[in-house]
Order: sequence, then C-alpha cells, then structure tokens
Amino acid sequence: MKPVYLVDGKRTPCVKSGAELKEIASPYLGHYLVRHLMDKHGLPSDQIDEVIVGCTGAPAKYPNVGRIIALEAGLHKKTSGYSVHRNCASGMEALSQGFDKIGSGRSHLIFAGGVENMSQMPLMFNKDMTEMFINLMKAKSPAAKLKIIAGFRPHFLAPVIAIEQGLTDPFCGKNMGATAETLARELGISRKEQDEFANRSHHLAAAATKAGKFREEILPITAGYKLDKMIADDIGFRENSTVEGLGKLKPYFEKETGTVTVANSCPLTDGGSMWLLASEEAVKKYNLEPMAKMIDYHFHGLEPERMGLGPVLAIHGLLKRAGLKLSDIDLFELNEAFAAQVLGCLKVMADKNLSARWGIDETIGTIPLDRLNVNGGGIALGHPVGSTGSRLVVTLAHELKRQKKKYGLASLCIGGGQGGAVIIENLKV
Amino acid sequence: MSYQHISYEIKNEIIWIGLGYNEKKSMTTLTRDSLAELTLAIAAATELDQKKGAKGLCFFSHKPGVFLAGMDISVINDLKNEADALRNLEQAHKLFNAVEDLKMPTASLVDGVCLGGGLELSLCCKKIFVSDNSKTALGLPEVMLGILPGFGGTYRLPKKVGLPAALDMILTGKQVKGKNAYKMGLADAILPIERMKELAPQYLTKPKKKKTFKEEIEKAAMDNFLTRKIIFQKAREQVMKTTKGFYPAPLKILELLEGGAGKSRADYLAMEAQGFAELSQSVQSKNLQHIFFLTDNSKKLDNKDQLPSVKRGAVIGAGVMGGGIAWLFAHNNQAPLMKDITPAALELGLKQASQNFAGALKRRRMTEDEFNRKMRSIEPTLTLEGMKSADLVIEAVVENMDLKKKVFAELEEYVRPDSILTSNTSSLSVQEMSKALKKPERFAGLHFFNPVNKMPLVEIITHDKVDPKTIQTLIKWALEVKKTPIVVKDGPGFLVNRILAPYLNESAFLLEEGVSVEALDEAALNFGMPMGPCRLMDEIGLDVCVKVGKIMHEGLGERAIPSTLSTKLYDAKLLGKKNNKGFYLYDEKGKSTGRNSEIFKLLPSKKKHMDEMMIQMRLFLPMVNEAAYILADKICDKAATVDVGMIYGTGFPPFKGGLLRWADQEGLEQIVERLNNFAKEVNQERYQVSPMLSMMVNDKRKFYDL
Repeated sequence: MKPVYLVDGKRTPCVKSGAELKEIASPYLGHYLVRHLMDKHGLPSDQIDEVIVGCTGAPAKYPNVGRIIALEAGLHKKTSGYSVHRNCASGMEALSQGFDKIGSGRSHLIFAGGVENMSQMPLMFNKDMTEMFINLMKAKSPAAKLKIIAGFRPHFLAPVIAIEQGLTDPFCGKNMGATAETLARELGISRKEQDEFANRSHHLAAAATKAGKFREEILPITAGYKLDKMIADDIGFRENSTVEGLGKLKPYFEKETGTVTVANSCPLTDGGSMWLLASEEAVKKYNLEPMAKMIDYHFHGLEPERMGLGPVLAIHGLLKRAGLKLSDIDLFELNEAFAAQVLGCLKVMADKNLSARWGIDETIGTIPLDRLNVNGGGIALGHPVGSTGSRLVVTLAHELKRQKKKYGLASLCIGGGQGGAVIIENLKV
Repeated sequence: MSYQHISYEIKNEIIWIGLGYNEKKSMTTLTRDSLAELTLAIAAATELDQKKGAKGLCFFSHKPGVFLAGMDISVINDLKNEADALRNLEQAHKLFNAVEDLKMPTASLVDGVCLGGGLELSLCCKKIFVSDNSKTALGLPEVMLGILPGFGGTYRLPKKVGLPAALDMILTGKQVKGKNAYKMGLADAILPIERMKELAPQYLTKPKKKKTFKEEIEKAAMDNFLTRKIIFQKAREQVMKTTKGFYPAPLKILELLEGGAGKSRADYLAMEAQGFAELSQSVQSKNLQHIFFLTDNSKKLDNKDQLPSVKRGAVIGAGVMGGGIAWLFAHNNQAPLMKDITPAALELGLKQASQNFAGALKRRRMTEDEFNRKMRSIEPTLTLEGMKSADLVIEAVVENMDLKKKVFAELEEYVRPDSILTSNTSSLSVQEMSKALKKPERFAGLHFFNPVNKMPLVEIITHDKVDPKTIQTLIKWALEVKKTPIVVKDGPGFLVNRILAPYLNESAFLLEEGVSVEALDEAALNFGMPMGPCRLMDEIGLDVCVKVGKIMHEGLGERAIPSTLSTKLYDAKLLGKKNNKGFYLYDEKGKSTGRNSEIFKLLPSKKKHMDEMMIQMRLFLPMVNEAAYILADKICDKAATVDVGMIYGTGFPPFKGGLLRWADQEGLEQIVERLNNFAKEVNQERYQVSPMLSMMVNDKRKFYDL
C-alpha cells in the first residue's frame, strides 16, 4: 500500500436535532466544507477523483448525497461521487474506502466524510394508509373512490417513525438503548458509573469549547430560515450538569429497572464532517501540508444485541494489522453512543477472561482516561450518525496536533453488531 | 427575385418564411429591407392561397434564441415627422393585414425573444407556437421608448388574451415567458425546440383548445361596458401612480384602447397609427430613444472573447455594501468568498444578501432550492486563506484610506497574480490607494450604488498605472452581472457623487434661506426625480453627506463650500434612515412615517416662498455647471457618459434624456445667463460659470457637440 495522507479535516458544529441546523438539508452539511478545503488549499476544481460521503438516512430528495455534495461544492461535473452506509460508522467507511483507493494508487485526491440531518428523518404513512392511496389512484368511478374513502379508519394516520425504526435492530429486534442495557447488566456497570462518565463528557466538552479548542476544526455554517445566521459552536452539551442531577432522570429504555437514560447516552444530532485525502504524488504536486497520515482501518462483526462492544474487536484487529500495541497510542476517540457501552469496552479490553468470550486470547490493555475523549464525546457533542465516523478522526487529528503527539485511534460501535477503528499518525509534531 | 433577409420556401405544400436569414447581428430586427421582402413573400403566399395551392404558412427564425426583436429603433428614430410616420405605417399595416387575411392555417413558431413588431406579426397568424426554450419571451416593449405598438399590436393582443392581460403587457412593456404565454392563451402550444418545425404542420390544423367554463364566464364578465370602464379607470390610476403623468405614451395607449372599442379594423388601425405618429415625434420619446442608444452603446465591448471571465468573486468587508456585492456575485453564480473580522459582521452581510433574494423568492422568481443554493454559495470566512480562488476581489470596508491600504497590502499576499483587485470606495482617491499595491496594474476602483440589487450603475475608476485590460475585464464582468458600467478618472466623488454634491448642497442652502422641506422635495419630484433631495439625504445618511461635503470642498475649492445645515443635523444625531430620523421619521422597517418636527428647530423660523421653477433651477443648474468641469477635467470622455451615469446612478428623469441632453435642450446660453444671475443674487462662488460652459456658449456648441 502507498501512503495515504489526511491533508485537512473540518466539521460543522454538532447541534442537537430540532435546533439551529434542523432546516439544513444533508448535502449542505457537507458541501461548504468541501468548498472551503478546496479554496484553502488552492486546488483546481477538476482535480478531485472522488467524493465519498457517509449518510444513513439519505433524504428521499437526495438519494446519493455524495454526488450532490460534489456538485454543490462547485467541483467539476466529471468528479464522481457516491454515498456509503455502514450505520454509525458510515463516515469511517467513507474514509476507509478513500484509504483503499489512494493506497492502491488508483486515486490521488479524495474527499471523504459524512453528513446526517437527524431532524429531517421522515414520518411515513403506515401500510394501511399507503394501500388506501394506491387503491384510490386505481379507482375509476367516483362511486368506487367513495367506497375506498369510506374504508378509512383513524389508525391509518398513525405514522411510521423512520428514526425509531432505524434505531431498532431488525435482526434481533432490540432497540439500541436496549443493547446498552444488556451490556450494563451483563458486565455489571452501575447507573452511577454511567452518570459519572456522562458528566465527565459534558464538562470536558464545555471546557474545550470555552477554551476555543474546537475553533480550528469547526467551520461556521450558515443557518437559519433566512440563511443569515452563523453557527460556530456545538450546541447541546450540558455545561452545568452534575452527577446528582443526571441521577434524577428516569431510565428511558427500561423504565422500571434500567440504568440507561437520555443523559448518559448520545442525543440525536445534526452535523457533518469532511476530510481531504491525498496521495504522496498529489501532496507534492499541490504543495500540500498534510495534518496526518492514515495508518490503517479495521471493521469487525459481533452479535447485534451486544453491538456496543464492537470497538473491542475492531481495536484488537486493527492493532494486530498495524503491528502496534495499545500503549503505543497517544490519544483515543471512542464514540460515546452510550456510557454503558464505552465503559463496557474498557472493562472487556482490560480483562483477559471477558475478552475470551469474543475469541480474543489476550488482554488488549487499559486506556488511561487522560487519553480518552479528552474533549468530551458523543454524550455531550452528539452522534450525527453518518458523520461521527469521520468526525472522530477530525477531532482526533486536531487534538494530536495540539498535543504534538504521534498516534491516535478512533473507534466506534456500529448498530447491527459491528465495530470500526482507524489509526492515524500526526505529521504536525 | 432572391431573398437576402428572409427565406421563402415551400415544402410539402407548406409555406415556410424564415426570419433572421443571413443575420449577422446578435438580434434580428425588422428593417426597411426585410419589411420589403416580407411584403413580397406575403404577396406570393396570398396568390397561392387564392388558388388553394398551399396547406398552410409558418413563420420561423433561422437564429436560435431570437425570433424577432421588433423594429430597428433607428428606423423609428429616423422618422422625420408625423406624416412620414403615417406613410410608413400604412405600408406596414397592408402587410400585416394581408398575413391576417390569409385563408389557410397560419402559425408563428416562436423560439427565443419575440418583441414588438415580432409579436405583432405573430398575432396576425391564426396560431402562435412557442418553444420550450427558457429564452423564449414575448412582449410589446414600445411603451418603454415612449411610443405604442404601431403594427396593430394594441388591436390584436386584447382579442387574443383579453383586455386586462393585454393592458398589463402593453402598459408595462413586460415580457412573458413561453410557458406563461401558453397559460394566458397568447400561445396555442408549447413545442420542444428541436422538433418544432417537424411538429408544426400537424399542430397547424389541430382544433383549438376549447375554452373551459371558467374562461367562458370570465370572458363574458370582461366583455361588458361597465367592467371595461372599471378596468380602464383602475389602469389609469395605476399609470398615474407610476409615471406621475410625465410619460404621455401609457395615457395615449389607454385612450386608444378605450376609444377604439367596437371600431372596424381599418378605423382602429388608423387611430393606432395616429397615436404612434404623435408619440414618435414627442420630446419624451425622442429622449427615451436617445437613452436607448446611449445604453446600447455603453454595452458594446469589442474584444469580449479575448478577456478573462470572472468565475469566482470575493468581497472584503460584510457590511451593507459588502453583503449587497456578495449577493450580486451569488446571484450570478460566482460563488463569492465574503471576508470580515467577526462572525457578527459576517451575519450582517448574510442578512443583506438574504434580504436581496427575499423579493425574488416571494414573487416566485426563484425557487426555495435556488435560494438555498445561491445563498449557500456565499462562503463567509474570517481569514484570507481561500482568496486564491477569487478572480475578482472587491474591497468594501469602512471608508478609511489607511485601513484600505492595509487591507490591500495584506490581500496581495493571498491572491493569484492574475486576480483583479478593486475598491468599492465612494470618496477616497483610487490613485492614492493604488500605491499600497505591488502590482497596481490589476487594481481599479469599482463604485457600486446603494442598494446594490436595485441600482444599475457601477463606476469603474482608473488611475495612472492601471492596465487597460483590467478595465476592460471589469466592463465585461459588469455587463455579465447586468450592471451598466461607466469608466471614469479618479477625482473627488468620481462622476455621479461629484455632480450630485452641488444638488444636495444647494438643497441645504435653500433650506437655510427658508424654503420648506416640502417645497424642495415637491419641486424635485415635479421635475421628475425619483425622490426629493431631503429624502435622498435621509437615504444616504447625514453623516455621509457631511463627510462627502468636506471631501468635495477640499478637492474642488470654494464653489463646493458645504452648507452648515447638514453638520447641524449630524450634530443633532439626525442621521436619516439609518437611525430612523432625519428630515423624515422612519419605523423599524425603514418605512417613512412623516415629517420630523425636530428639524424645525434647526431651520430658520421665517419661511420663504420660492417659485417651483426657481427652486428647480437652483438645484439643477449647478449640476450642469459641475458636469462641465468634469468634462474639462477629463473625468469622463463625453456628455453621454455623464447622462448614463446620472440616469442609472441617481434616477435622473429618463424622459428628459439625461442631465446634459436636458441642458442642451434648455439652451446653454440661457443656462449661463441664469447662473450669472444666481452668482450676483445668491452666491458668487457657488454659481460661478465654469470656463468650459462659457467657452461652449461662445463657440455656440452644445454638450453633445463636444
């Protein structure tokens, strides 16, 4: 494989759904990032080989968000663009495909990232209502139409909620929150541990924002109904949260006996992120100064009802592949889908017996908390599903640069029972 | 005989008459020659028709995107007098009637612009087919030249589309797109452009679309005496509101349509011809034709194809002007970068751009998707990082020479060597600014007028070291974004503001003498200005007026000594529209809510009555005088440039043909005499006749003879 460079990565602010970014259609969460990176690095618009974009809830209007982003960003019409879907890791899948294409020498400049507008996930008509519409269209005479209309029942209006369906595993039938409850139960992770971890995330995110640490990675986005507002900061983290306060919330998924609440899991979020990937040749040709090098990636499957442990397997596989030890890694970005799930991963990785249940015959190691999600994670910043996979890498690369550290690892669990991980090497040491 | 300007061909028993045959100009117009050939062709067609030798006749154009842009304006301009006009019209009417009288099916295949005589010819056909080309647009724009459609347009259009729709088209001169033409019944079918000629024969004989019940009722409602009376009354009110009675053409059109009801074709057309003949010889029409030629000339650029095109723009400074300029780039698909130093400042620019789009969005001239795309094509940025992408950068930061110089010095480090850099300064020296640049040859002034989306003029300001190619590229760009450019030399206030300054200054002096705000504004309005000077000062802002007044005084000497009144207003914080109070009061939306009584304290208590004509002379003669200085100083090359600038930059009444054309018509001798009187009675310095003007009077020359 040839070296693959992460030239520059930017993201939108992460904003909880239904708020400031709710009107922005998915392509517009990405196109301006591409345009900005093009302008900033002075690249000719006809020199990009590919635009690869992760998106799980592709809007009906934009089935192929990747191509639309390429066009809206003003790239040459010949630039090919496509969208990828690997649930929560779609953005990471985009990066990995870019990695393969540049690594194999077939491409030189690629945009890879992800976008998700969870505010705009649709409500759909249910089966009965849909059938009535179809029959109405087929009906010829007014009498026949009347007959069909007479068959209407109020329950026809009960909508199918796309997001609810999307967050429920079709194979095991469990909601994502329920898979987190399973891990909490099986691995003995208490409510208090989860709330403490969530609280940490909120405070780290608030502190990082206050210190302006995200200024470099967030590109302010034009928002508002009239498109005359600029949103420059993440919106959604709870600056004043306390463990006690979080402890008062009712469990959301298992109302009586559960431990997972809306506050110790990630909120629905709108956002996007984008990387410019380049080959060695392109770096030289356009005088680029890459932030980092992408070392490798790995995806791994496991039982869907324990999807939250996906990172354990992905990290294990990736370290092997890269020939590195856990202790070689300076910084970790582990997506916080649920506090229970992150804590579960840490527990399993540090325990040989537990690891053995997933066929790992060694202790992977312990991730020190001062290297883990140092600026907060998904619980505070949110989880715009299609974007998170690349968003983690954006945040990771910028933090590595700030701390002048070498290796960084980003990993996340994937609905449907998978894990994904990426290792990068900081070049701005 | 062989046809030179049209083609005539019979194929499968259909007569095909092709317009724009061998046409080299971008727009096909009707000339004396093409009319003569058309007459021959129609005579041949009529002969065949009588022998039943043809199944149909179709007009089409050889030129894609242009069907027929109407009569060549120079033919109208050349008409010597009413009798000459009537003679010419009589010939044309014979031709148009002959087309209408053909027994066989006839159709006009309209692709592209179809205006004036082009539409009138089409209306003589039994059917009009329009292409699905987005350029296809039909209209009768004659009223904009102060005349009326003279080839039977006022007779045939109401018959085809009904009175209200016809009045709307004829009185405003607006153009109707192909799709809308079909909807309103002006066109009988929309055909795909590539297969238009292939499909036309079968559409020729297709029975017409039956009127729906609703349309029948509407027609019945319109066709009675009372409804017509109401329609005409409403139309007349509307005309008076928009033209204030300065333009005779719309009134004549109403008179003709109302009086011609129920008349035979021959009688009606005779009335129409009479109306046309009278209007074509009116001063207003001559002046409007004059402006047409001026504008047309200012749009000529010979080496267009060799000049670079602006694909991306950038604006530095996101204030009201910056936002407006960002809008202009975005609107023309030149995805601009917009740079400022804080997000709040950038929001201001976004707000301005969004506001400019709002109108088009509301009137459905653009879709929500287009709004999103264009608005989002503006890239707000806090750094100069991306400036390499910009082909044209327009600086619009606050009016401060040192700051602007700093901006340009820094900017030059970030742009490509071939980018053009410009300053939207309205009052600072472009010559001085050019010193801040390492490569001044690619720098020029580019002065827009506020609001950018409404004001068509842009002044391109040169300096010693500028490359002529830079200027030409800017002209090309300005034309592409549908602005009217004038090239002027550096100097205080450049052209428009320099001429406007004595107008505003004299207004302030008149107020100090005791003339009332109302009398002043009324006098200017009655002259034909779009707004009075007091209202204009409110729009500009008194702070700007004071600042510009100082600059003029410094640059031009004692003849530009500013009145103290504007300073008094400024000191009293009466800044005009920007803080909701100036001469008038304004609400939050900027709507005028009446006079501001605070002003009375600053004005002399003793009122002075002055004749309206006298006020007008006091206001407009110093402008003429200053224009003479401008020509003497070679700020611009000719009188026409001054007139284009004043019409498109200040709304100087078009029916007067421009400031210097008006001066020529008034007579320079008389103007000098009046100035001399004012110099004696009012103020020696302000009314001192310029040497240029004296010289012209001595030489018995006019501005347009220079």
